[in-house]
Amino acid sequence: MAGKSGRTINNIPENPVRKMIFSWEGILFLLLIAINIFCSMYSEFYNISSLLRQMPVYLAEVFLMLGMAFILVMGEIDISVGSIVCLSATLACLSSNAGLPFPAVFLVSLLVGTACGIVNALILTNFQELPPMIVTLSTQIIFRGLAEIILGSGGSVSVSNTAGFRAIAGKVGQVPYILFLVLILAVIYAVVLGKSTFGRSVYAIGTNRTTAYYSGIPVQKIRFVIYTLMGTLCGVCAMFLISNSYGANTTTGENFEMDAIAMAVFGGIMSTGGRGNIAGGVISAIIIVCLRVGLGQRNVNAQVILLIIGLLLICTVGLPNLVKNMRQTRKVKKN
Amino acid sequence: MKKDSMLKKITGSREALLALILILLFIVVTGFNSSFLTPSSLQQLIKNNAVTMVMALGMLCVMLVGGIDISIMSTLALSGMAIGMLLKYGHISGTILPFVITMAIGTVCGLVVGLVVSRVDVPPIIATMGFMYIYRAMGYLISNGGEWASASALGSFSDFATSSFLGINCVIWIVIVCYAFFFWFMKWTRTGRKIYAVGSNPEAADVSGINVRNIKLLAFTIMGLLAGLGGALQVGIYASAMPNMQKGGEMDVIAACVIGGVSMSGGRGSVIGTLLGSLILATIVKALPLIGIDSLAQNTFKGVLILVVVVVNVILQRISDRNALKGREM
Amino acid sequence: MKKKIISALLCAAMATSLLAGCGSSSAGSSSTTTSAATEAAASTETAAKAGESAGSADTDSSSGSYAGQKIALVGKSAGNAFFEIAAATFVSTVESEGGTVDIVYPEEATADAQIKVLDNLISQDYDAICLSANDTNALQAKLEEAMDAGIAVSSFDSAPNADSRQIFVNQAGTTAVAQALVDAVYDITGGEGQWAILSATSQASNQNAWIDAMKAIIAANDQYANLELVEVAYGDDEAQKSTDQTEALLQNYPDLKVICAPTTVGIAAAAKYLQDNSASCKLTGLGLPSEMEAYTGDGDDYSCPYFYLWDMEGLGTLSAYATMALVSGEITGALDETFTAGDLGEYTITAADDGGTEIVLGLPLEFTPENVSEYAKLY
Repeated sequence: MAGKSGRTINNIPENPVRKMIFSWEGILFLLLIAINIFCSMYSEFYNISSLLRQMPVYLAEVFLMLGMAFILVMGEIDISVGSIVCLSATLACLSSNAGLPFPAVFLVSLLVGTACGIVNALILTNFQELPPMIVTLSTQIIFRGLAEIILGSGGSVSVSNTAGFRAIAGKVGQVPYILFLVLILAVIYAVVLGKSTFGRSVYAIGTNRTTAYYSGIPVQKIRFVIYTLMGTLCGVCAMFLISNSYGANTTTGENFEMDAIAMAVFGGIMSTGGRGNIAGGVISAIIIVCLRVGLGQRNVNAQVILLIIGLLLICTVGLPNLVKNMRQTRKVKKN
Repeated sequence: MKKDSMLKKITGSREALLALILILLFIVVTGFNSSFLTPSSLQQLIKNNAVTMVMALGMLCVMLVGGIDISIMSTLALSGMAIGMLLKYGHISGTILPFVITMAIGTVCGLVVGLVVSRVDVPPIIATMGFMYIYRAMGYLISNGGEWASASALGSFSDFATSSFLGINCVIWIVIVCYAFFFWFMKWTRTGRKIYAVGSNPEAADVSGINVRNIKLLAFTIMGLLAGLGGALQVGIYASAMPNMQKGGEMDVIAACVIGGVSMSGGRGSVIGTLLGSLILATIVKALPLIGIDSLAQNTFKGVLILVVVVVNVILQRISDRNALKGREM
Repeated sequence: MKKKIISALLCAAMATSLLAGCGSSSAGSSSTTTSAATEAAASTETAAKAGESAGSADTDSSSGSYAGQKIALVGKSAGNAFFEIAAATFVSTVESEGGTVDIVYPEEATADAQIKVLDNLISQDYDAICLSANDTNALQAKLEEAMDAGIAVSSFDSAPNADSRQIFVNQAGTTAVAQALVDAVYDITGGEGQWAILSATSQASNQNAWIDAMKAIIAANDQYANLELVEVAYGDDEAQKSTDQTEALLQNYPDLKVICAPTTVGIAAAAKYLQDNSASCKLTGLGLPSEMEAYTGDGDDYSCPYFYLWDMEGLGTLSAYATMALVSGEITGALDETFTAGDLGEYTITAADDGGTEIVLGLPLEFTPENVSEYAKLY
């Protein structure tokens, strides 16, 4: 009945309401409310309209979180996503300037992203011994390097025809389109990861790759699909980034991989694989957005905001473990 | 017959393979530009990569116990910035004291990371990602939001990086001493062997009486200590301390280790391999502008070459594994 | 099933934050002294946005008086010593006129991070934003949004494109900087020989503008015909890479006479390398006196005979006055307008190379072995 929950605080009796509150998502949800109350008391400008207005820039990174969630659940990592975003954005801008209609530009961005994803996937599935981190590190350097070569000595390009990009940055009332798209994609990803055979296989690979292989799961095919889809999502992210900046440059998307991983991990999706779900990731992404907007509106030093996010990361992953460890030692002592 | 066994020996040993790749690289680069293979050029190669080389040793320990540490360059910035500010405002002077301070700060930073990883069971990548933000922010905060300490502010501290002993630059001596010590430590001491044991099979190590948690703690503390040393080296070599120094450099350290055959799942890797790996990476980076690669294309080439080296490594490993199996069938 | 509950909860959370947000904004209005007009603008932002225009920014304060202005100063990134000096005089100038300044840095030196900062600033009731742009074009959408919201936008140090600003305070004309650097190269090489440029990143807009101007000057003038620019290398503003690039330049071009590094990190790293190795190649460029003090001198012991920068303190002051004049409506950023910048005297707005308008502070400052230690105490 219940979806696969990220993690639970130990030994809570099987009461559905209590179980939900004590599940990771429940705790995150309470944290979200707490942070919203805090922010609205902290910043006089923090309200739903300013939040919705500032959200789109951050939401572009949530697309990456969705793909990263699959990779993390599988127990792997992809640190080339920021560079794929950069390359897709660059080529999308150039193709737009070359006179392609907007839908074609969107397609270019998706195709470039997918192609980069396929490159990652091909290397990773053909050389399974290679750690994903080192492969995606070198493709990270390569993809951004290609963008540097393409952009030449200026290092920056801007789109001359911004109509299409202005359109996708549009809003229904105050709610930007991108929020709907993120939520729709999140639901799809959540269903695929939580309910489908494909998703179950991903969990299986993350828990024990060898066992998964011997129980007939096409491990390499699944890895291929996931890394490729990650690339496609980078293409989507690139388009929405351009809708904020009407251009691309060699620093576009720098460190997005870290933001995406932070959101996912904070949401209970563990990089050790096999646990976590999308709902937690989405809530935690929104928490991070709220926190950044709220603190940013009081001009809190950007480094201090990062420090707080770093602490939150360690605490959210560490505290449940600490509680568990303490309980176990108490048990051992009793015995 | 004899030739065959030589070939087998070379393809069988990872280190020999890496040495072969390195020698090939040297020959190719020298072919393009003869000034590469001069003593002063080689000294500069090591000096300019001393930070990465020293820290790769710490990363070796961390990766041997199955961990990873991406907070190291933030630790470097924090410790380097600390002595930068202390020297700038005249609280300390000389050479030895700043080294001690950076290493102490680094050790504390590493200890905290190690405690979080080993006692609270936070996966290393996540814990160190958190500390990457935290230590970097602390580096900015102690620099009063972004002051630099320049060459004249550092006084005589950075002199060690330009002085030499027995004709070899002092920075290179530090690198040599570090590698010699770790070669002995990892191979001949009980603790060094325990690090390998924990990495290759934590459960077995635990059962055989090794305190796995303490060994993990030790590995991260060593990493912190070396990151602190790296901070002093960075400030000394470039005679300048900035809060954003070496941002992103942790990936170079990890790449150097992986090229050197250190396994990311723990248990496999050697000091010689790490040395060769970091030399290969350093040579690639230094050679790109020398052999006339366009300055805009250098990053792409760097990425491609890293990828080629690790892939070649895997292919050769597969061949040698197959050969070993053949031997067994016989 | 649980997921349904969670999504319902999520909607509830949004509603809570809405309520909490509205509650706080009304609470905030009672405690702060902002006028009713601006508060209404904040709460019905989107509706108000269309009505307001950049020109009507002077409703907040009476023309000619700079008191009570709230200005945001946006840097390229934290940890830029060179920016701090200008920021300090900017703050003291605005405060002496009775206004307030908040200095905000993006978390990284990228346009993406600066967009997030601008978003935050637009949400607050600033009268003006003065920024040093990380990318020429990428900030256009946000800065236009800011100007539509009635915020005056000025820039200094590094300009966003002409459409996304009202005025740019140029530290020293692009051509003037390039001319000074070319003349320095000409002087140090003795009129002929090989020289190279060590820049920051390929994307750094300032550096690219200077390099292009230098190339144009050399191409246009026969006097420089014997100068051979062999390469433009990029050190990415990292000490390690800059050192590698410097060394490669020397090894590739043994006859290299001068390296010109128009970037503060690059010039210091190159100076260190050249001086340590007693290279015959000399260095000039744009640097901070405090960073370069140890390397500046006559003779073979030093790598840099002289270098340039501009009056950072004057830049901060002038930018402050220009921004305040924009807010008060004294100037609108149009060509040939004049205003008085306190003790600095009167300035006229001139046409910039990129089609926008700018105010030029003055000529670049030359730092020689005689004056470098004096300036090193300042910056």
